[in-house]
Amino acid sequence: MAEPSAPGRSFDEEALPHLDTLYRVALRLTADPTLAEDLVQDTMLKAYRSWRQYRPGTNARGWLLTILRNTFINDYRRRKHEPVAMDLEAVEPHALYRSIQDTDPEGSFFSQIVDAKVLEAIDALPADFREVLALSDIEGMPYGEIAEALKIPVGTVKSRLFRARRQLQGVLYDHAVEAGYIKPRETAP
Amino acid sequence: MSRLDCDQALAHLQDYLKRELTPELVTEVRVHLEHCRDCTGYARFEESFLLMLETRAGQATCPKELRARILAALRAETRGN
Repeated sequence: MAEPSAPGRSFDEEALPHLDTLYRVALRLTADPTLAEDLVQDTMLKAYRSWRQYRPGTNARGWLLTILRNTFINDYRRRKHEPVAMDLEAVEPHALYRSIQDTDPEGSFFSQIVDAKVLEAIDALPADFREVLALSDIEGMPYGEIAEALKIPVGTVKSRLFRARRQLQGVLYDHAVEAGYIKPRETAP
Repeated sequence: MSRLDCDQALAHLQDYLKRELTPELVTEVRVHLEHCRDCTGYARFEESFLLMLETRAGQATCPKELRARILAALRAETRGN
């Protein structure tokens, strides 16, 4: 394997470029900027200490995210009360769209919602959901890479992502109605 | 070529927007969208939702102080060995 003096340098080159990604994912996982900073720092130290286990040329981002996630589950998850998944089994994929398609088909009400509210709504998703949402929709990682980093099947990535989006859209829609950005659908009798 | 109905097209929509479909399925979904205003409207809605997420939550960068703190901790670790 690599010579003893090499790890420091290669770690800098391979791991440090992913700090922004790790920070954004940590923000969404912890839903708390201070905890997110601690989580990223803990992750980087753990990664550094186990750098020998990293196989050069493989996916450093995925490797780091696995460590971030394990650290979060083991050391951080218990610190906060976790939100629960809504029961979305019966929800059609386009149920929300049905209520806005005549008045706001492009969902422009989303753009009226302030950033803080959007982030708050993401952070109110169950951890399993916001994790997949962060990796896929915010970081743009392919399903396969997410599945590998989280050690779950691709099908699970897809179904969590689907449910995360439905739940998030529902919460944002409710907020937009409450704030008066969009008129509620006339209630069925 | 087999034609997808709305349910089938919608079942593939998430993967279509994420560019995770095989080229054959991409074509089939695209053909359906070209012929179905309802599904096209819904696909646009989903697309704008995704774009919204990216622009709202994808901008944060690792704070400089945190980066410096991590680098210092790594250097201390190196010296400690």
